[in-house]
Amino acid sequence: MELNVAGVFAVSLVLMTVVFIVFVTYNAVVALRQRIDKAWANVDVALKQRHDELPTLVTAVRNLMSYEQAVLEEVTRLRAAYSPDAPIRRQAETSEATSAAIRSLFAVVEKYPQIRAGHNVLDLQDEIERLEGIIADRRELYNDQVYRYNTTIRSVPAVFLAPLFGWGPREFFAADPAEVDRPSVNLRA
Amino acid sequence: MAPDVSPYLVAASLAGLAGGLALLVRGLAAYRSGARVAGIGSSAIATMAAGEVRVDGVVEPVAVTLVSPLQSAPCVYYRARIAEQSGGGGEERAVLDEERAVGFAVRDTTGRVRVFPRGATWSVPADLDERTGIAGDEPPGLRPNRGAGTAAVLPLDREAQIAALLTVRPAGTGLEDVGGTDGFGGGLFGGSTALGPGGTWGAGGRRRYFEARLEPGDPVTVVGYAIPYGQLPEEAAEGSDPAGLGGLHGTALAESLADPEIAADMAEAQAEGTLLSGPEEAWGNAAIPGFGIGRPVSIPELDPAARPLPLAEPAAARETAETFEIAPETLVVAEGPNIPLVIYAGTPAEATTREQWRFVVGLVGALLAIGSAVLLALALGGSIGS
Repeated sequence: MELNVAGVFAVSLVLMTVVFIVFVTYNAVVALRQRIDKAWANVDVALKQRHDELPTLVTAVRNLMSYEQAVLEEVTRLRAAYSPDAPIRRQAETSEATSAAIRSLFAVVEKYPQIRAGHNVLDLQDEIERLEGIIADRRELYNDQVYRYNTTIRSVPAVFLAPLFGWGPREFFAADPAEVDRPSVNLRA
Repeated sequence: MAPDVSPYLVAASLAGLAGGLALLVRGLAAYRSGARVAGIGSSAIATMAAGEVRVDGVVEPVAVTLVSPLQSAPCVYYRARIAEQSGGGGEERAVLDEERAVGFAVRDTTGRVRVFPRGATWSVPADLDERTGIAGDEPPGLRPNRGAGTAAVLPLDREAQIAALLTVRPAGTGLEDVGGTDGFGGGLFGGSTALGPGGTWGAGGRRRYFEARLEPGDPVTVVGYAIPYGQLPEEAAEGSDPAGLGGLHGTALAESLADPEIAADMAEAQAEGTLLSGPEEAWGNAAIPGFGIGRPVSIPELDPAARPLPLAEPAAARETAETFEIAPETLVVAEGPNIPLVIYAGTPAEATTREQWRFVVGLVGALLAIGSAVLLALALGGSIGS
């Protein structure tokens, strides 16, 4: 009789432990998905801020730059290509190309002391460089969250729950290097 | 029940059952905590966004540190416990059981963020976990604090730090200079009267000393809620005010003061004399930033006989202002709505490993509980122990 009670106790304890682990794992994966969405929203905010700042910079330097209109046009074209509703991979490609174009623009601006002398341009440059830093850090955090989520749903015990709840892997915010449309700039011009 | 059941076996089984279940509960809590810390990526402090975050870096003190009671170490958090066991292996009685924290900052390679630890859960391993010896000798490393419970954070003096590092000190228990009457000397440790010859504990049973703390420079991982300081709930800011002097700049209180009706009520109260006109009038010198830590930024009004405090140098005054005046838009880390604040000693990997290890110990606890239940059943059924 006592042994039966001990057996029921043992089975109950194991079941309770398993239920608790399943419960915590489910909540942890749901939280991971939420964190990915939040991390993406934070990337998107920074992309939007950069999108809003770029026309001001282009306007400020357009009249002062004599020969490198192609660089400005590239920045303008890539800015126009920004679409918050596009797939993440497409957005990553556009974002990387925009960052490259901005770096090219800043490299060209270095050649024009009269532009650098203007506080307005310097302030804009600082602001856009700050935004570039934020985008880079938040992209890293987003990818880190995706990595954690993708690893979790492929690991025990979440791997048993993933088919039940339809948890699939998420996409990284990373561009295919072949797809990135990098602008070419002739710095000797 | 069998008439000749061994009471010792039953007691041992019950103890195993209770201990195993306690370990299991602690292990399951650690599983949950470990899943959380492992499920969040660390944000770079300089570019982190508001909301649930994990930051990791090193602890930087803000204005004041605590002094730990058992090892006199400067720290921003400690949990200390002294349990005394009465003679003959009797029940343990807590002589001291204390947990304290002050606000601190975390610095990573990109920046620094203030942490307001009110309501935090701490996961900090023990720095001291020792017992008095059989002969009553105190454990090495015990260095009871006999002075103030807090210390001001002084500007870094590189030369002094190098000299301190290079100074060789003789090993000791720290009990050689017993006999003080202030701080713990006259209270907890009872001055020299409680100590036998050679600075050891005389009367009373064996003691167990436990202390866990987080010191300046220690690696730390914080999981909590990043929020602009101006939106920090009043009680969260109050609970961690480093020296008890900081105002709530740009907070809900400041917004309330802008309300015309509230402002009219306050003006009326001030006219009646029931409300003082400002912090300077209410607190006197204590309202001067830096006064409480011996570095006032303006000249305090003192009695003629009092020793005047030297004014802070411009750099120190600037540091003091940064300490006490946090811009409302500056992100700080605190407990958030439905987002608990958990502070782990060590890097994220160390924190995760520690929680996972506790979970494994919890599973061992489950096995212990099951084994104890079976043993108890066998004992009660008369199969063994009779």
